Amino acid sequence: MSSLLKKSEAKLGLKLVAPAVGIIALLVIYPIAFNVYLSFFDVQLNGQKTFVGFENYSNLLCNPRYYHSVGVSVVYLIGTVAGTTILGLAAAILMNQDFRLRNLARGLILLPYFAPVISVVFGWQFIFDPVNGIYNHMVVDVLGLTDTRDNLIGNPDSALFVVIVFDIWKHFPIAYLLFLAKLQSVPKDLYEAAAIDGQNAWGRFWHVTLPELRFVIATVVLLRVIWNLNRFEDVYLLAPNVETLPIFTYYQAFAGLVDQGIAAAISVIQLLVLVGLIWLYVRKVLKW
Amino acid sequence: MKNQTALIVSSSLLFSQLAGATTVEFWTAQTQTDRMQTIELLASTFEALYDGVTVKVVPVDENEMATQMAAAVAAGTTPQLIEVNSEIIMAFGEEGIVNTKVHDSVVADIGKERFHKGALTTLTSPDDQYYGLPYHGWIQGIWYRKDWFDEKGLAAPNSWENIETAAKMLTDKSNNQYGILIGTKQDSYTEQVFTQLALSNNAAEFDSKGSLVFNSPATLETIEFYKKLSEYNPPGPQNWRARDYYLQGKMGMFFYSTYIMDDLALAEVAKGSLTSENFKELSGGTFDPDLVKNTAFAPIISHKSAASYGTLSGLVALKTSSMAQSDATKDFIEFMYDPASYITFLHMAPGGMNPMLKGIAEDPAYLDDPNGVFKLYGADKMKQIVSGFDDIRSFSVVEGMTFPESGEIFAKSVIPRMLYSVTIEDESPKKALDAAEQEMKAIVAQ
Repeated sequence: MSSLLKKSEAKLGLKLVAPAVGIIALLVIYPIAFNVYLSFFDVQLNGQKTFVGFENYSNLLCNPRYYHSVGVSVVYLIGTVAGTTILGLAAAILMNQDFRLRNLARGLILLPYFAPVISVVFGWQFIFDPVNGIYNHMVVDVLGLTDTRDNLIGNPDSALFVVIVFDIWKHFPIAYLLFLAKLQSVPKDLYEAAAIDGQNAWGRFWHVTLPELRFVIATVVLLRVIWNLNRFEDVYLLAPNVETLPIFTYYQAFAGLVDQGIAAAISVIQLLVLVGLIWLYVRKVLKW
Repeated sequence: MKNQTALIVSSSLLFSQLAGATTVEFWTAQTQTDRMQTIELLASTFEALYDGVTVKVVPVDENEMATQMAAAVAAGTTPQLIEVNSEIIMAFGEEGIVNTKVHDSVVADIGKERFHKGALTTLTSPDDQYYGLPYHGWIQGIWYRKDWFDEKGLAAPNSWENIETAAKMLTDKSNNQYGILIGTKQDSYTEQVFTQLALSNNAAEFDSKGSLVFNSPATLETIEFYKKLSEYNPPGPQNWRARDYYLQGKMGMFFYSTYIMDDLALAEVAKGSLTSENFKELSGGTFDPDLVKNTAFAPIISHKSAASYGTLSGLVALKTSSMAQSDATKDFIEFMYDPASYITFLHMAPGGMNPMLKGIAEDPAYLDDPNGVFKLYGADKMKQIVSGFDDIRSFSVVEGMTFPESGEIFAKSVIPRMLYSVTIEDESPKKALDAAEQEMKAIVAQ
């Protein structure tokens, strides 16, 4: 190929990607850049900005509630990511077996994922209502397991746990869906070969299923970490007293009067952490 | 045919743009469908009376108002008029987005002396500008089961001692019965309940010179009392929604505004509120028609002094560059204060929304609300309730001086978070108070 042709092809290539680059710049890079810029200002509602340097950052990093919410977020992330992955995997393996009404069961599993957040949150709140809820009714009145009525969602000690269980229940279907799709493409002869080699069911899972699923699992974990580090609506609607990072951001920056400078500072830090995590994960775990 | 349709569509679009040259966008905190319909009706009536003005009514949840406003101001789509509570009004006023000139001319047109004095003061800035115009307000107090109180020989819950004794006597947790409802969630209901108790103990946020005096023995004592009361609360963090437990006969008394009047009085309303928020099939879910008769109201709580607490919502014109919009907004506000439209508005929540202009409460049209709530309670009880308005107290007004910083402290939920940490997280009252004071200092310093 002549160099002239190469050049003109490169030009064409540039032209072809230009719209995409333009859109990304407008919708992603500009907001991020503006966000970083805002984080150095005290912003008033009428648009007046006062330069404050790193004050927003130092305010934030000196706030003990910030570190508390980092801790809560870590527990929430580990609990939900591990929970959805394991439950999703188990459900996928189960649904990959042959049994009657399998298609119906496969569809039903997806239900929690499709249901609107607000309606299932209300459902859960009714269930755990301390005075009228069915949970306390069963535990206290019917079974008599304890004689004190508990507000599981309201009590800060149990709320984090409830929120994690809620997230696992609500979001494991997406993990299940991805795993099941991959499982169906695993060749049967691999399992047969493993069986001939004397592997029992556990051995076949360990040596065939898991290696085959490796990249899907890694992708699910990555997606879940990204989603759940930023997850707001589920937690806030169900138990607003569980202060994960996004909830903390909301209280700091958006509750009452909006403090855009602080909000920007928090999200810059969160972005850096997320980018760092993803980089580490992609390089070291996925080895892409 | 196709072309014709296009022509009609485009010409009608053009026409509506020409005709609606001036648009007043009105954000209201009344988001319920039936209230929205009433406000839309008022807006259409206004449009019929004033040619060339369109009123666009937008419902915005009160808790979202500040956030939405920030987005609108940033995007250059600020509404012309909002209806929201006084704390947010004062905070907006301090942010410099309020059109005080419109307020001045409305007050001049209607007459300053026709407004309840305390109400207007609440919305006046330290340098004598009207940040908003008082439109409707409610009084808070303790609503209680008179029949249970009589049965147990308890005195009305109008003092700290009476409240605590009654709460204790009426609590029977093993039978799912609770003595009292106070706010323990991190939201405004908690602050409202606390404020009334704090004011009755002479605790304050600011002194008359404007210095922060929140961290005082009186406040600490109130927090300790609050913690004691929270032991008779339904389990876990609670807010006003737990009033349903009272309607179900599972609670002895609760702090609430006069908004509860129609909920107590009307079977439909109460049933509606029960089914939407709780399982009606569970025991106690049926409506008790004798509840109004058996319910009494204690609007004033006395300890070191007598305190009634209430808050008001106002209309606020926002800054706009267009004179036409500014004038149309003023016309619309004055239309909203016209007795006919004013009473229509107030009747959306009989008892909950009380008039801020003198003379409206005595208007026969006002006393004849469509649901018959006022008739049920009787004129005397109504008088008692509205009388609390002459001297409602709050943290933001001290000896006739208004401190807008109090609105910002309210907006940041400093007090509710303090009380949540004491009642739910078992933080020591002193530590929680110190932390709250630090946060308040930071807000005041800004």
